[in-house]
Amino acid sequence: MDRVAALKTHRLPETAFAALAAGGGDSDVIRMLRETQQSKHTMLLHAIAGAAGDADPADPGIAAFRAGYELLTRVQVTDPAAWTWLLGQPHLGGWANDSLIRLDQGAPPDFAYLACAAASGAVRAGVPFELNAPVRDGHVLLPGLGRIAVSRETAGDEPAWIRLRYDGGLLVAGDDVVLPRAALAPDYGLAQPVPPWRGTPAVRAEADGLSWDVLLVIDDPYLDRYTLPMSADLDADQLERWRQRVRAAFEVLARQHRWTAGPVADGVAVIVPLTPHSQTDLITATSPAAFGAIATSWPPDPVTLAETLVHEFQHVKLCGLLDLVPLAESGGEKVYAPWRRDPRPAGGLLQGIYAHVGVVRFWAAQRHAETELEDVLRAQVQFARWRPTIEAAVETLRQTGNLTAEGERFAELMRAEGQRLADEPVPDDALQIAREASLDHWLTWQIQHVAVNAPGVSSLADAYRAGEPCPGPDLPGTWIQEDVRKLGSSMRSRLLNMRYLEPARYRELLDGGTLPLTEPDRLLLSQATEVAVRGYRDLISESPDPQPEAWVGLALALHQLPASPLADAFAARLPVLFEVHGCLGAGCDPLDLAGWFG
Amino acid sequence: MPTPSQDMKTVIPDLRNVTLDQLEELGSTPLAHAVALYRERLTKNGVPLSSFNARI
Repeated sequence: MDRVAALKTHRLPETAFAALAAGGGDSDVIRMLRETQQSKHTMLLHAIAGAAGDADPADPGIAAFRAGYELLTRVQVTDPAAWTWLLGQPHLGGWANDSLIRLDQGAPPDFAYLACAAASGAVRAGVPFELNAPVRDGHVLLPGLGRIAVSRETAGDEPAWIRLRYDGGLLVAGDDVVLPRAALAPDYGLAQPVPPWRGTPAVRAEADGLSWDVLLVIDDPYLDRYTLPMSADLDADQLERWRQRVRAAFEVLARQHRWTAGPVADGVAVIVPLTPHSQTDLITATSPAAFGAIATSWPPDPVTLAETLVHEFQHVKLCGLLDLVPLAESGGEKVYAPWRRDPRPAGGLLQGIYAHVGVVRFWAAQRHAETELEDVLRAQVQFARWRPTIEAAVETLRQTGNLTAEGERFAELMRAEGQRLADEPVPDDALQIAREASLDHWLTWQIQHVAVNAPGVSSLADAYRAGEPCPGPDLPGTWIQEDVRKLGSSMRSRLLNMRYLEPARYRELLDGGTLPLTEPDRLLLSQATEVAVRGYRDLISESPDPQPEAWVGLALALHQLPASPLADAFAARLPVLFEVHGCLGAGCDPLDLAGWFG
Repeated sequence: MPTPSQDMKTVIPDLRNVTLDQLEELGSTPLAHAVALYRERLTKNGVPLSSFNARI
């Protein structure tokens, strides 16, 4: 052991920084990030131990924490590998972060969780122990390994307690549960369960000489931290489907995306299955508190899961890097991100760009691996849609002024990676679909979040009403204001994306004719463009209420026609057009108004 | 502009080879700054989730 007095900080080689910024980072870089997380978790544990030291030792949660902490000191010395495993687990990071936040808010953290975590480490290490562990929802959790079903009454949120005794070979829980060490392992779906033990579902994926061990965590409260709940009630068949999908996705990575397959296997220890609100949503997420965990709802096919792994692993890497080197200051104006419906702060935009550097790289290769026509189209559109966003979003990010010096360098390296693929040819049909989906997103976002100076709008409306020429190129000022206008159905946008993501379902839904679409939307999607233009124009002119979705539809329809100044006016000034039209009221022809702007 | 052979300084103390017992002996002083920095970051930023709907 080094002398503690010579405590130093982790160092990050410039080559590792550059590799990460370009979207990569090999297994050595990932190992470095993992090691820094181990240090971070040790540091946080130390801070929490300080708080526990000031608390009432008679409190059962504090007593459990202290017993767990003492056990950890023995595990660390006896079996450093078990210690490293435990400290690298994402649930421990989630718990440590949440504990620190609660302490800073003046609320007691869940001290007792450490007893469970320490018991897991000790079971792996074969280190004997005896301690009280909390029982929640009828289970004692051994994080990273599984849980034991026990019959203990709990009152409200307060846990019951059970004595765990372990001699290195047998674990005894309470008076009647005895489990051999060999049974206390994750469940790979290969052996018969040993009740009352339920191993954490796990997958071992092997492909092209690479292997990946990953847990499917559905029962740890510190990984139930995403925008959707974890799928806690997956049955054996559903778990097996998840295992198969993970194996198939890893095959895609190992065969087509070698640059990231090994690092994903080294850096992703946990997948958290999520339950989406709608079966058609695909929600994925990552938390900086839980390095090494990614969350996703059920992925419809292996390639989609492979893309998700790449996307979310980018976030994992960036979260690890941000713990070491600040890249963006917090706060500042929120801005447009081409992959989100809401305005994003600089830090969020940075995360999104970085994720899409990986996504673009993924589709750049995947489009050459696909053989089915519809799969090729999906891959080409995905590549064409996200490729141009990197450079544009990097520019937006830099203009926020929120990047640190290192952040500026990081952004330039991301931009260079985006430019590297800029000249790759894409078939025209894919390009057109990608451009339309991107335009729909950009215009919808503007209608929803771009406010316009009201006096300027009134002046323009007065001039138009009086038959005067448009006052000139200086339009009323605009600024980003979240949800300045409410939009209704997003069905048209969903269908524009479904066209290449799920073409069979797209055709089925469109042919079914039961979708909540306006007639002009239906015409637009059927490429009956000129009739769609007239339909949107009539809808906007004749409606007494504002029709923001129809304005976006009209702009999209104009862009399906040959290039024109009218289409440019819609793309460049949509919120202003919308507001001026709102001032003029029903009866005003939106095309005439756009033409007036010139 | 740094050269490829340079290392960047980071804000996380290297505790890989430090035991919990040694940390206890150490008290909180050498780690206090790093912990304070981390807590300040948590207070300022919270734990920002990266969440994505791939169908929108």
